[in-house]
Amino acid sequence: MKAFKGLDTLSSFGGLVALLMLGVLPTLFTGTYLVGVLTVAAIYGIWAVSWDFMSGLTGRENFGHSLFIGVGAYAAGFLNVHFGVGPWWSLPASMLVSMLFAVVLGFPTLRLKGPYFALAMLSSAVIMQRLMLIFWEYTGGEEGIQDITPLVKNPLHYYWFVLAVLGSITLLLSWMARSRWGLILRAIRGDEATCLAAGLPITTYKIVSLVISAAFAGLGGALYAHYQLQVSPQLFAVVTSITIITMVYVGGMGTIFGPVGGALLLTVMTEGLRNFGEWRLMIYSLLLIFILFFLPNGIIAPIWQKMRNLGRPS
Amino acid sequence: MSALLQVKQLDKHFGGLHVLKNFNMELHKGEIVGILGPNGAGKTTLFNLLTGFIPADSGEVLLRGQPIRQLKANTIVGLGMARTFQLCRPFVGLTVLENVLVGSLGPRVKTHDLGERAMQLLAQVGLADKAQQASELLSYGDLRRLEIARALATEPELLLLDEPFAGLGSSEIEALSVLIRKLHSEQHLTILLIEHKLREFMQLVSRVVAIDFGEIIAEGSPADIVKDPRVIEAYIGKQNPLNLDNHA
Repeated sequence: MKAFKGLDTLSSFGGLVALLMLGVLPTLFTGTYLVGVLTVAAIYGIWAVSWDFMSGLTGRENFGHSLFIGVGAYAAGFLNVHFGVGPWWSLPASMLVSMLFAVVLGFPTLRLKGPYFALAMLSSAVIMQRLMLIFWEYTGGEEGIQDITPLVKNPLHYYWFVLAVLGSITLLLSWMARSRWGLILRAIRGDEATCLAAGLPITTYKIVSLVISAAFAGLGGALYAHYQLQVSPQLFAVVTSITIITMVYVGGMGTIFGPVGGALLLTVMTEGLRNFGEWRLMIYSLLLIFILFFLPNGIIAPIWQKMRNLGRPS
Repeated sequence: MSALLQVKQLDKHFGGLHVLKNFNMELHKGEIVGILGPNGAGKTTLFNLLTGFIPADSGEVLLRGQPIRQLKANTIVGLGMARTFQLCRPFVGLTVLENVLVGSLGPRVKTHDLGERAMQLLAQVGLADKAQQASELLSYGDLRRLEIARALATEPELLLLDEPFAGLGSSEIEALSVLIRKLHSEQHLTILLIEHKLREFMQLVSRVVAIDFGEIIAEGSPADIVKDPRVIEAYIGKQNPLNLDNHA
């Protein structure tokens, strides 16, 4: 009997089909508006899966994910604009910088119990946002860093690239979540003392998971910087972290693939509600409250489970 | 013969409360020993100190002669000493099988087929048919068995059971005693267990260490302990211990 199932073939296939459909979708319409919305949605998807891997599985909610996004984006901007480094170097560099921040922050904060990890991460992100303003000579202050070189000139091709990155990260993290590593993270969510009694060094597992989560958040940050072609301190805003957490909840926490759907749904919903003018936030909030209140397991993951079970001989 | 576990002058305060006073004991390989004491005597504190869940103030704990007092709880499990909790603590959100699997992910386990082994352990404790259930839905008696299976999954040499019978009915106690006896006789596990009632102990252990207010008040065979005046006093004042046996 196999202890760990590895990747689920049907789910991987479903994910691939969804990804292809998303890739074809903007070619059916003229104009670049949809491509733009979907690129942002895919980047949010990267942030949401990376959050879900650490926080969704272990239950240690990171309210400062924007910190890793921000340092990744700023690393890309700095290297590109101030040091004239080619844009492709941004991707590994942003991952490294975010991982470094995760190690430094994870060591003290992941030993904390209860809500203190969430609070410590939240404050760290706020502090980083202030630091960007205080050291304006280097960071550009409110203006941030402008004139970043695009990775790929054609917006559609860039969208496809981001989509491929999202697909690869989701595949990798789903596989990890179903391995022994994922089981340990879910056990940490269950009971930390029992994990110790099972002989597991839980702090190590939590820190390494945060580092992995940060690496992909930073990568997403760099992709965002090369999409917007500028970075600003707003990237560190608390609201970014909250939006990502909401996307994960809506998608289905701890399922890895669910949050991708959550990110897509909420980004498209935000755009779609633009026609409602000032009612937009009101409707958006009510919809969110409805989802979180009545569907605590989210929308995307439970729907996929239902569809899977339909195809299964009972 | 050197002892498997040696506890030397172990001392612990909780603020102004002296919960363990200059505690000494030895446990030899293959023994099955019970720690007896009324509620609040310091039994669970002793377990927490031995297994590294809380730090001791002073003294030393030696496992196979190796000092372990300064080591972390998870490291001590890796050296072959596993424990269960008095209040069962399953991993909420995991199935029964997954709960046992987690126990086998530590450094000590070298088996490759972890799934097969976890199923064997579940069969051994009588939970094989519930492998795919959510662990938080198990009955109290089944949770105890799950605790033991999870501890066994770490491949211990020494197993510490914290009040395994608390809250169980008499038939469940009997079944669990059979299981513990089997672990001792067939798998040659050395077992240290805590209990605050005498009756469950009598047939199970070869030696009893009775403690009260953090100190050893008596040590010997179960038959001797029952008659020991200090033990009787600790429990019910100056009465016949058989009353305790009947009403417990």
